[in-house]
Amino acid sequence: MREALEGSLAIARAVSMAKPDVVAAYPITPQTHIVENISKLVAEGDLHTEFVSVESEFSAASVVLGAAAAGARAYTASASQGILLMSEVMFNISGLRVPLVMTIANRAVGGPLNIWNDQSDTMAVRDAGWIQLHCISNQEAVDTTLQAFRIAQETDLPVAVNMDGFVLTHTMEVIDMPTQAEVDAFLPPFEFAGQLDPANPRSMGTLVDPNFFPEVRHSHHAAMGKALAKIEEIDAAFAKVFGRESGGLLTVEGDKKARVGILAMGSVVGTMLAGYEDFKDEVGPARIIKLRSFRPFPAKALRKAVKGLDKLVVIDRAISPGMGGVLGTEVSAVLSTMDKAPKVYNYALGLGGRDIPENMYRDLLKLVEDKKAPRFAVLDADLEKLAPEDR
Amino acid sequence: MVQLTRGTWAQAGTSLDFKTGNWRSTQRPVHVHAKAACHAACPAGEDQQAWFALLQEQKVQDAWVSLVHANPMPGVTGRVCPHPCETACNRTGVDGALAIHNVERWLGDEAVRLGWDYPVEPPAANAPTVAIVGAGPGGISAAYHCVRLGMKAEIFEALPEAGGLLRSAIPPTRLPRNALDGELNRILDLPGITLNTRQRLGRDLTIDGLRAQFAAVLLSPGCELPKHWSVKGAVPADLHEGLQLLRDFMDHGALPDAAKGDVIVHGGGNTAMDICRIMKRAGAKSVTLITASGLPGPGTAPDDIINVVPRELEEAQEEGIEIIDHATVSRLIMKGSRVTGVEIVSLKKEAGKDGRKRRVEFEGTERVVSVDMVVPCVGEQVEPEAFEGYLDGAYFWPDNPFGRIADRVFAIGDARGNRGTVAAAIGDGRLAAEAVAAELSGEADPFADERPVMELDGLNTAYYAGSSRARVAKLPVSERTFEAEIEGPISRSEALAEAQRCLSCGNCLACDNCWTMCPDNAVIKTTELAMDGSHYVFDYDYCKGCGLCVQECPTGYIQSVPETA
Amino acid sequence: MAPRSDTSKRLSELRMKHGRPPASPLEPKAEKAETLREAQPRFRGLESGHRACQGCGEALAARLVMESAGPDVMVANATGCLEVFSTPWPQSAWRVPWIHSLFENSAAVASGMEAAMKAKGKNTKVLSFGGDGGTYDIGFQALSGMLERHHNVLYVTYDNEAYMNTGIQRSSSTPHAATTTTSPAGKERMGKRHLKKDLLSIIAAHHIPYAASASVAYPADLQRKVRYAMGVEGPTFLVIHSPCPLGWRHDSALTVEVARRAVQCGLFPLVELERGALTNIMPIREPRPVADYLELQGRFAHLFRKDDYRAQEELDHLQALADHNIETYGLKGEGLDPMDSTGMSHVRRGGPLAGRS
Repeated sequence: MREALEGSLAIARAVSMAKPDVVAAYPITPQTHIVENISKLVAEGDLHTEFVSVESEFSAASVVLGAAAAGARAYTASASQGILLMSEVMFNISGLRVPLVMTIANRAVGGPLNIWNDQSDTMAVRDAGWIQLHCISNQEAVDTTLQAFRIAQETDLPVAVNMDGFVLTHTMEVIDMPTQAEVDAFLPPFEFAGQLDPANPRSMGTLVDPNFFPEVRHSHHAAMGKALAKIEEIDAAFAKVFGRESGGLLTVEGDKKARVGILAMGSVVGTMLAGYEDFKDEVGPARIIKLRSFRPFPAKALRKAVKGLDKLVVIDRAISPGMGGVLGTEVSAVLSTMDKAPKVYNYALGLGGRDIPENMYRDLLKLVEDKKAPRFAVLDADLEKLAPEDR
Repeated sequence: MVQLTRGTWAQAGTSLDFKTGNWRSTQRPVHVHAKAACHAACPAGEDQQAWFALLQEQKVQDAWVSLVHANPMPGVTGRVCPHPCETACNRTGVDGALAIHNVERWLGDEAVRLGWDYPVEPPAANAPTVAIVGAGPGGISAAYHCVRLGMKAEIFEALPEAGGLLRSAIPPTRLPRNALDGELNRILDLPGITLNTRQRLGRDLTIDGLRAQFAAVLLSPGCELPKHWSVKGAVPADLHEGLQLLRDFMDHGALPDAAKGDVIVHGGGNTAMDICRIMKRAGAKSVTLITASGLPGPGTAPDDIINVVPRELEEAQEEGIEIIDHATVSRLIMKGSRVTGVEIVSLKKEAGKDGRKRRVEFEGTERVVSVDMVVPCVGEQVEPEAFEGYLDGAYFWPDNPFGRIADRVFAIGDARGNRGTVAAAIGDGRLAAEAVAAELSGEADPFADERPVMELDGLNTAYYAGSSRARVAKLPVSERTFEAEIEGPISRSEALAEAQRCLSCGNCLACDNCWTMCPDNAVIKTTELAMDGSHYVFDYDYCKGCGLCVQECPTGYIQSVPETA
Repeated sequence: MAPRSDTSKRLSELRMKHGRPPASPLEPKAEKAETLREAQPRFRGLESGHRACQGCGEALAARLVMESAGPDVMVANATGCLEVFSTPWPQSAWRVPWIHSLFENSAAVASGMEAAMKAKGKNTKVLSFGGDGGTYDIGFQALSGMLERHHNVLYVTYDNEAYMNTGIQRSSSTPHAATTTTSPAGKERMGKRHLKKDLLSIIAAHHIPYAASASVAYPADLQRKVRYAMGVEGPTFLVIHSPCPLGWRHDSALTVEVARRAVQCGLFPLVELERGALTNIMPIREPRPVADYLELQGRFAHLFRKDDYRAQEELDHLQALADHNIETYGLKGEGLDPMDSTGMSHVRRGGPLAGRS
């Protein structure tokens, strides 16, 4: 049923239809509307779940860890500082191979304090061993959330569903909301083979010495590799029930024959697609690559997607100071094995909620025409605002 | 090759694959049955701790059976024994020794009252028969143990009745005759025991005759001949020796006239104590005991304490007997051949040049007391008649712990020369019977029990509930006669409560402490496999040797010993 | 909540499975018991083969807790000695579902496990374990949150009064004047400068149904408290004084003796608080001087130096702290109380249950 819904409410309802046993959360802007709406569903009796209002994100992550370990479908949501406070637990959840789902309402990380959208939070936990999926719209966020529960339990890996704070979470959108019957047909009840069970009392979280630690890390890495196929398979299974896909690992949009490409994650992809429509006649068409799975990183699919490109602009919504864009760096590394790899131009954009207008499409394409175009820049930074010695 | 589990979970209880037992470096805990101090001190060889353990489990008859395994006359010894077990009891250092003799007496009386069977089988018809000379406590004990060990016993007693000094020299106030007869007759009635009375060695029998006729001969004649007593050569004409005086009184109920006046008894044993009290009760103006030993107290060394039943001493003092300790009679003051006074001098045991202790009289401490009668009570010796060739001076003095003085001939009790209690005679009877049994089956003498004794410092007394010794009623001084027993009985509930006070020194209490306190789960509780009398075994595969069980074992039953390769 | 009969059937199945003999004559005997170890008449929740040091008080405490709590429990365990010595992969000493996540989140993980049990309508009780570092210090916030949210969890802290797993560093539970590797005694210092945190009062201030202190020296009392807490619906808390021979520097055989003296001198009072109110204490029959307790331990050796005037002052200070406990909690009982510090440890032939049906 198509409804005009705020992103956060839609996510709350999607989570509710996944029938989680335990939800734990601690409020942080811009995640608050999601957990408020879940709380409301619980308060009204529409959702039967143990809602645990914890005293910190650290405990939120720990609670869902314990719950999932004990065999419960578990869900949490956070953003920004909350993700960083969770980070120690996040490594632990994935290392113990505990399946659960978290929504990250992406927001900049302080200091200075900033509550607006970028993706520095999820990038900061890049190596936490989670599956990290990015959504360009609230429809995708709803669908990906439902898929995430299935991906998690079929891979024994935790899944973070990223949606841009405010841009998606606080925005009304017409969404085709699934029905409970459809969700039930798609999502089997929660199962976790490694769960804590008095009838089969195992010990989780043991001390592993150097004789086995590399194998542990290898198997985690291998599991991520295998998850690539799982993500596509489950997206296809989703399409069977719902008649729409969410974009597998990545999708190629715009002009597939174009020689210039733009690669991005999250809502900025939507902005680029709109810019493409408005400015393709003026600056030419571009191939728009929408990367949905940041972890596991779909290297093979990406190399296929960029074939024939001369130039590839990678938009980063985060920065690794002293290096540049995180996504851009990784894309460059992945493409380095190609015979005719496109030149990669990596730009950090929209940090801390700086607006990314549709004409950014035009500006980017114009910029990379220039042979002297920088290979990395915080593109929308106005250096006039800085003292000369700080530029 | 171990395969990694997803998420590195481990299966329950798999730590058992890791044997921490090889962490033990130098010490390991073991169970050591040490002798309880009471047991070690008992001349009769009773294991008081063992029968108290059964009482703690309310197994009263089993306790008696355990007791009579060593001593068939608990009703008697519970009344007359000076109970060195109580002196040795480790509980003395906590809150008072157990009232062992009271419980022992109660068990003996219960057995008589309820007719419990002695744990013996009738001997086979062709079983060897052992001749026993003397039906005192040693002889009776020997006969009982012969039967217990599958032999027959034939007792020859000079007097018309069995009992020896129990009947002739111990007043009924200490040992009522029904208590004596109750126990004695039950033993004499056992199949395999024959009692021949009015059979005196030398007159009716000879040792060599008995040797020829019987499988073995056990000599338990007691000591009947008073030791010669004089003070620097002087002997009063009307001398009455203590034991003889006591026997005469018990036979005829009368004392010499002089006993109405001021009496001095010279000596320091139970006979001296008995005669003091009888004379006082019979109307003596005053009775004073002069003894070279000391009264119990901080100034007296343990080996210098007067050798009497402690409660008898207390009772005597209650009754007005005066005691001058660490003193002796140094001179008799005579009027003609009659004694009218004595000179007393203080003395003490002092170590000499060679380190051996001897009594030293202190010049200048002499004082004179006027008296009407002096009763020496300095011990007796074996009547030498009929024992010629077997005695070594006044006594038998066997070299062998079992009393062997010749091939198939054993000496028992006071006649040995270094005994002095009924309990010792009972113990000798058992030892001799055991040695005879071994000898007749061609074996060497039984092994002596050489286990160490558990002292107080080997216990962990934090685990024992404080509880004071049972209070036992006594006849008030004014009601004491020549017949009525002075010390009262204790009830079943009092006896069982007293049993709970036993610390179980050196022996497993099954308290679960080791099982409860082992951080490594290396103490296994089991009734099947713990063959050492405990309920536990150590699992040395996992025991790390921390010593916690050793430290926390209340009874000292767990000890740390060096690892052997 | 499952009906009672279901619960007892389930428990009996669990006992059978784990080789525990029947709790009552009505239950069939465990069929699986093939070895003496399997036939032990208690639940072996913490099995042999763990790698705790000789005489480890924490291992003893955890074993006692598991016996009284198991088998229908699951455990969240904070990082620390207990976690490390019990579960070096691929081995585990635990016979219950057990999870270790991090140092500071045991109470939060337990909250999640308990929420899962609630959501799934199961009765399995969740336990949360931590050392003093994981409880008094780094895990304190998660613990407070768990208590406030009223999770049905029994939290047990094994208090050995320092960070032992990392090599004996001071924690907020380390007693005043004790030396650790980060509070050594020297010319300028007499060991730890600060006081031991009064955690139990803070816990009790959460108004939870039950909070208590226990000691390895009093196993019967300890296990009674565990059983009581197990029966409470809601958050319960137990702090167990667990000597560490290595860190406290005493002989491994003296673990229980040291713990006993800590109670007997008043420095570690054994108390029970319900809804924040003091409801029970273990009276001290005859308070011992604190020196009796301190002298057994190398960590207080500097307090016995005759040539240092500060030693006596610190001894007096610790005595004053013990006296303060005795006064505050009214630890001086009257007369002989079978539940006091002397009476509670009494043994009897045949063990604690002898003669009882």
